[in-house]
Amino acid sequence: MDRIWHSVAFRLALLCGGLVVASVLVLSSVFYFVSLGLLARNIDSKITSITEKFSEDAESKGLSVVAQRIESTLSDGVDSDVEILLLTNAAGQKLAGNISGWSELSAPLDQIIDRMVNRGDRLVPSRIRLHKLSDGALLVVGRDMQDLSEIGNLIGRAVAIGGVSAILLAILATFVFRHQFERRIWAIRQTTQEIEAGNLDRRIVLSGTPDEFDRLSADINRMLDRIQHLMEGVRHVSNTIAHNLRTPLGLIRGHLEEALRGVPEQRKLENAGHFAIGAIDDLIVVLEKLLQIAEAESGTRRQPFEPVVLRTVVTDLLELYDAAAEALGITLIVDIEGEPTLHGDKDLLAGILANLIDNALKYAGSPAAIKIQVRETVQAVSIIVQDNGPGIAAHERTKVVQRFYRLSSNRPGSGLGLSIVSAFTHLHDGTLFIEDAQPGLKVRIELPKLLAPII
Amino acid sequence: MLPTTPTTRLLLIEDEQDMARYLSKGLEEAGYTVTHADQADQALRLALEQQWDIVIVDRMLPREQDGLDIIKAVRLAAVQTPVLVLSALASLDDRVRGLREGGDDYLTKPFALPELLARLEALIRRANPSVQATHDSRQLRLADLTLDLLSRKAERAGQPITLQPREFKLLEYLVRNQGQVVTRKMLLESVWDFHFDPGTNVIDVQVSRLRNKIDKGHSTPLVHTVRGVGYRFGLDG
Repeated sequence: MDRIWHSVAFRLALLCGGLVVASVLVLSSVFYFVSLGLLARNIDSKITSITEKFSEDAESKGLSVVAQRIESTLSDGVDSDVEILLLTNAAGQKLAGNISGWSELSAPLDQIIDRMVNRGDRLVPSRIRLHKLSDGALLVVGRDMQDLSEIGNLIGRAVAIGGVSAILLAILATFVFRHQFERRIWAIRQTTQEIEAGNLDRRIVLSGTPDEFDRLSADINRMLDRIQHLMEGVRHVSNTIAHNLRTPLGLIRGHLEEALRGVPEQRKLENAGHFAIGAIDDLIVVLEKLLQIAEAESGTRRQPFEPVVLRTVVTDLLELYDAAAEALGITLIVDIEGEPTLHGDKDLLAGILANLIDNALKYAGSPAAIKIQVRETVQAVSIIVQDNGPGIAAHERTKVVQRFYRLSSNRPGSGLGLSIVSAFTHLHDGTLFIEDAQPGLKVRIELPKLLAPII
Repeated sequence: MLPTTPTTRLLLIEDEQDMARYLSKGLEEAGYTVTHADQADQALRLALEQQWDIVIVDRMLPREQDGLDIIKAVRLAAVQTPVLVLSALASLDDRVRGLREGGDDYLTKPFALPELLARLEALIRRANPSVQATHDSRQLRLADLTLDLLSRKAERAGQPITLQPREFKLLEYLVRNQGQVVTRKMLLESVWDFHFDPGTNVIDVQVSRLRNKIDKGHSTPLVHTVRGVGYRFGLDG
């Protein structure tokens, strides 16, 4: 019972049933009171008008005329079976009418009252008005209410039967509704349980009618698709990382093993040691970069974002890379319009530019020119790093942002530079474009000045 | 190069026994008198009760203690001993926090021992201005090299040297730290204020360009390369 009470379906169905029953009751009551009330009001006004007419006649034409009128009214065949009329003289003797007399002397005058009246053969519920004429005679005008009370009883019975059926139907609906609800929810729960158990490619089967449950199920299925895609991505990344760490680790191991094989030789051991330290240092750098990417992708790095003046960042970088460019015979050209400012992380923005400049220095060849442009619109800032080297073939442009993707394996590098650029750009809500500079490579980064709030 | 005072007392707060053993050995070979603590409470007591020339703190200590809390407590007690923070937490935020909580330098594990030694030396020097090169606020001098800090001009043996602003800053840093080893990382952090790996050997190229301007045509070189570590600026090689 407790479990049923905790079921949303049950509570909802119960609420709906309750509302149905309540509205049936309200509707019936309104019908009952309005229809019977109208009849009663009609009857009352008729009683009043007849009373007034007869009392006027009595005052102007005398009791005998009224007695005559009463007799003719009772015999005219219009409503004669429900009319109640009586006229007595001051002594209480009946002059005309269809009831034997009026004995209740204390009854209030000139008010319509409910009384049981003896109509010869039976007692009937009636609406009655008593009126004393000026000479002490009593005029009684009324109506037999037997038929109306029968109508009332009929309506009441109908309402009762209707109400009980409504309650029964509501209870039935509650259980049907709850059953339907549970059945649909169960389909979803069963799927999620299977997925929880590791069966990741399970999806919720849709019923085919585009109702709320189908829409919810479709949403959940889409979410599951996305999660599965992400998990495959993670698996792929893990595989790539493992592969890229295993290779240098194997090399280190090989060198050390070789140095220790046979008679240990001082020089051989020294060389192997130096090689191992160098290779491990490279691995540390790779790990650090992977962590940076992961940190950027997790989005946690947004906390310390603050306004960054790009001119300062670019100038600092230029003064770091100018000597290297000079040594390679490469010209660095900087072109900044206005004073572009971004909301971001200075070190990460510098990291983006450093990686792009570093790439250009490595791949543009010599002599070459690297152009760093910063442009600003009302909402966005674009950073463009462009060289006139060989560029990247169209089919490789989307791949170069993948971790460890390298265009050429005979150049030093980790294959993580553009992955870092991509991750840092996304952290800043930006978009990365890798384009053809004809000739050369053009990397364009569009960054909004204000970030979308983190949800 | 040995630290400047005859016995330099160093407190090493590190819980990992192997790491502590390796570090103690390296530091003792470099001339430090090393005391090792591997528990936070013991470390804090030692740090507060005794005099140290320098303290090395590992951030992750047993029972989820953070080395930064030790630094905070030490600083609250108005102890100004230079502190170098060691950490396996590499993110920039952690580094910023480490320095904000009172650390004087921050080094991420794994690191090269020479890098650690160079940084310790720089910290000790900074804490003892008396052993720094003689200079007033306007001029730095080393042998026949003069740096005018106001006009940002340098000359050697009376010959003016044309330097770009950043080259001047680099030279100024080298002169101020003359006689001690400075690593590439230290130069990148101090002269450019960058905390990332710049990829290509940009620092080497920067130093070699400066070396060309400073040493070319002079019989005594001032810029010396320390193999596998970095550079040393001064008269002796």
